Amino acid sequence: MAVHKRSYRSYAGKLTPTWSRFSIITRYALKNLFSSRLLTAYFVCCFFYPLGCAVVLYLNHNLSLLATLNIRQVFAVDADFFLSFLGVQSGFAFVLTAIVGPGLVSPDLANNALPLYLCRPFSRAEYVVGKMAILAGLLSLITWVPGLILFAIESSLAGGGWMWANLGLAWGIFIGSAIEVLVFSLLSLAISAWIKRKLAAGAALLGVFFFGAGLAQAINAVLDTKNGYLVDIGNLLTTVEGSLFGHGKPVGISPESAWIALIAACVFCVALLERKVRAYEVVAG
Amino acid sequence: MTERVSGNMNVAGPQTRIVFEEVSKFYGEVLGVNRVNLSIPPGITSLVGPNGSGKTTLMNLMTGLVRPSRGRISVLGMAPDDPERLFRVVGYCTQFDSFPRGLTGYDFIYSYLRLFGYPHAQSSEMAVRAIDRVSLADAAGRKIAGYSKGMRQRIKLAQAICHNPTVLVLDEPLNGLDPLIRAETIALFRTLAAEGLHLIISSHVLHEVDVISDQVVLLSNGYVVAEGKIQGVRDEIQEHPMQVLIRCDKPGELASQVFHEDYVVEARIHNDRQGVLVKTRDADRFYLLLNRIAQNGIEIESVAPADDDVLSVYEYLIGTEESTK
Amino acid sequence: MNEPRWALWRAQLRAIIRLETKKTLFSRRGIWIYFLAFAPVLIFLFHSLYLMKTGQAGDIAEETHIFAGVFQLFFLRLAIFFGCVGIFMNLFRGEVLDKSLHYYFLAPVRRPVLLAGKFISGLLAASAIFGTSVLLQFAVVYWHFDSNTRQEYFLHGHGLAHLAAYLGVTLLACLGYGAVFLAAGVMFRNPLLPTAAVLVWEAINAILPAALQRISVIFYLKSLCPVLIPTEVSLDQGNPLGFIAMNPSPASTLTAIFGLLALSLVAIAFSSRQLRRMEIDYGAE
Repeated sequence: MAVHKRSYRSYAGKLTPTWSRFSIITRYALKNLFSSRLLTAYFVCCFFYPLGCAVVLYLNHNLSLLATLNIRQVFAVDADFFLSFLGVQSGFAFVLTAIVGPGLVSPDLANNALPLYLCRPFSRAEYVVGKMAILAGLLSLITWVPGLILFAIESSLAGGGWMWANLGLAWGIFIGSAIEVLVFSLLSLAISAWIKRKLAAGAALLGVFFFGAGLAQAINAVLDTKNGYLVDIGNLLTTVEGSLFGHGKPVGISPESAWIALIAACVFCVALLERKVRAYEVVAG
Repeated sequence: MTERVSGNMNVAGPQTRIVFEEVSKFYGEVLGVNRVNLSIPPGITSLVGPNGSGKTTLMNLMTGLVRPSRGRISVLGMAPDDPERLFRVVGYCTQFDSFPRGLTGYDFIYSYLRLFGYPHAQSSEMAVRAIDRVSLADAAGRKIAGYSKGMRQRIKLAQAICHNPTVLVLDEPLNGLDPLIRAETIALFRTLAAEGLHLIISSHVLHEVDVISDQVVLLSNGYVVAEGKIQGVRDEIQEHPMQVLIRCDKPGELASQVFHEDYVVEARIHNDRQGVLVKTRDADRFYLLLNRIAQNGIEIESVAPADDDVLSVYEYLIGTEESTK
Repeated sequence: MNEPRWALWRAQLRAIIRLETKKTLFSRRGIWIYFLAFAPVLIFLFHSLYLMKTGQAGDIAEETHIFAGVFQLFFLRLAIFFGCVGIFMNLFRGEVLDKSLHYYFLAPVRRPVLLAGKFISGLLAASAIFGTSVLLQFAVVYWHFDSNTRQEYFLHGHGLAHLAAYLGVTLLACLGYGAVFLAAGVMFRNPLLPTAAVLVWEAINAILPAALQRISVIFYLKSLCPVLIPTEVSLDQGNPLGFIAMNPSPASTLTAIFGLLALSLVAIAFSSRQLRRMEIDYGAE
């Protein structure tokens, strides 16, 4: 075809930094998620407990209240306090994962959107990181972020001495939550990538946790062992968090075994994602 | 409110027609179709309209996949909510490009026929026949998930015709088909229509609609804008004068002669200077005039309506509405 | 006039059952159901092999109680529960998500007949899978005993009666849960929420008032189990699943069977009513 006048010019303007392009997926997904009133309401509810804890921490240092009750302290702000806090927020985090997680990759697979993403200068890793950032961001906001804020509040109320003496708690809050966020995110992404139907992915996520817990109990009961807990993700996370705080009830397997099992689970999820997040699908037969 | 144009649909009893009486369908607040009154006779009827005009909604209504918010529908005297009777005589090739998982083309048709209650041998024979009719015999043993778009379209067609229905509803049946298969499929439609079937086809390919259809139903924004034979519909569109292209040896002279008449609105010499495009408000009187002109020394090679087709009618009726939005 | 109709419906039921059982039993998508069903078989197998290898005699009564614990706390509440979620919810909701339900609606099949065919096929598949698992579990649990002990238990003891009871409970579990999840799949666009609700409801069943306990599948199933779970086989304290270790007051056998049948019939009747009104609108999914 003859071209009379070459007036077409490709874009030659400024480009956004390559490293930040994954965040496009995150931004649009978050905008879409928060258009749901149910999810927004639930997300807001996730902050009620941290808010309540903050109020309680303040009251714990309220001299006039303490004088009225004739006590030194309402309760001790120690590892148990923060461990319980993380335990409650973990429950909220699990429900949030069950709501948000299944819709991350499943719809893209079901609607053949992956080729559309990956035919751009956009890698599979960026796609996965972008999707993971959605959950990781939301879960972080309800776990270690309020946890560290509570730590800061207590530090400011109790004084610098308390903070230096309990710096390990801050470390425990961050690492314990981070491993939980990582496991929840990778697991839900992997399930969402392997199961095209959003609802089935959600059911599978519930199944992995509840069935895993039940299977662990069955193995322990029948084989008279504690190694069944290796398939109970909830239990593994509890063991790891307990060890980080130097507290928590003994649940049977060593923290080292729990760490190894969690890392293995994460690696397995990454392998599943690598297998499934592709621009094409081969149909046998 | 859209003015409706009607153009001589054949009169026949309700037992041989598909009837919509004051049918409306709302999807929540979104209008699907509104106050549709139609009586579709045997033959090939095309539903024509832009995206979102209500073609698929009408098809889904007449096959019971959705229920009307108001009104009544009858398909050859049967209600669409009586599937046991209805689908013995109706076949529907939908727009959905999805299939039950894990089935081959043959399994898909065969298992569908078993739902009719046909025994194994008969179902197998009918399945093979339907698959042959759509030229998919070679691929019948392969999984549908591995089919190309055209093959998937054909297997859907096979599913619609496998039980020898009397009414065939086809939602964009030529989508994804290559030219050769398109021609074969159109020939198949003509054969089926000649056998007395009702064929209701929706299509965006207007020149094909022109070629295959006996009558058309034009839809826009959920309303029926026009229905009937194309020529009949065109005759009723008074606000757009008929366009006639006359090929002759003296176009200038012809143009000057016709332009004297008050019912001729415009006469334009064709770019190749071998013809004249005339716009007239009264086609019958104009043809009589042409006869007289032809006897007076101007050699007329051909006379053909230039806007007597679906595309022109579409542009006049639906294009006008779209542009006034 | 009625005779040809019944013959047609029978032929249609057979056609639907043939198609659906093939999809459920022989599809790659359903592999996880086999894992759910046969995981306890593997656990008991390891247990028996270990005992055989170490030459330990074991005690039939103890094995019977361990089996009862695993059956009631794990197999019924988790394996069959999630298995039925996967099988029965897939029957209609899965077809809607796959956009293939319209093919059934475009066939000359009455919707109640379609519902019956799909339900029966799901029931056959679930009963076959989980029934086989129970048989294998039972065989493997007592495998490490010598043949005399086994003969004594099965032929002169309660062995066969217990096996028959467990198979009956399995069948009734598939019926009850199947009907509930079939209804959930037909009635709800997002059946995950009712699934989670049923899971929680079944889990807290033991602590509900007696009248509310009767509105539950697990209540009737536990009443029909031949062996009550002794507390020493119960789950660890402090475990989230510890709730389900408590034993409510059981219903009589007849009440249990008829209660379950009534619950199933009500669920199926609701499903039938809903299916008759169902429209094909995949765009809303």
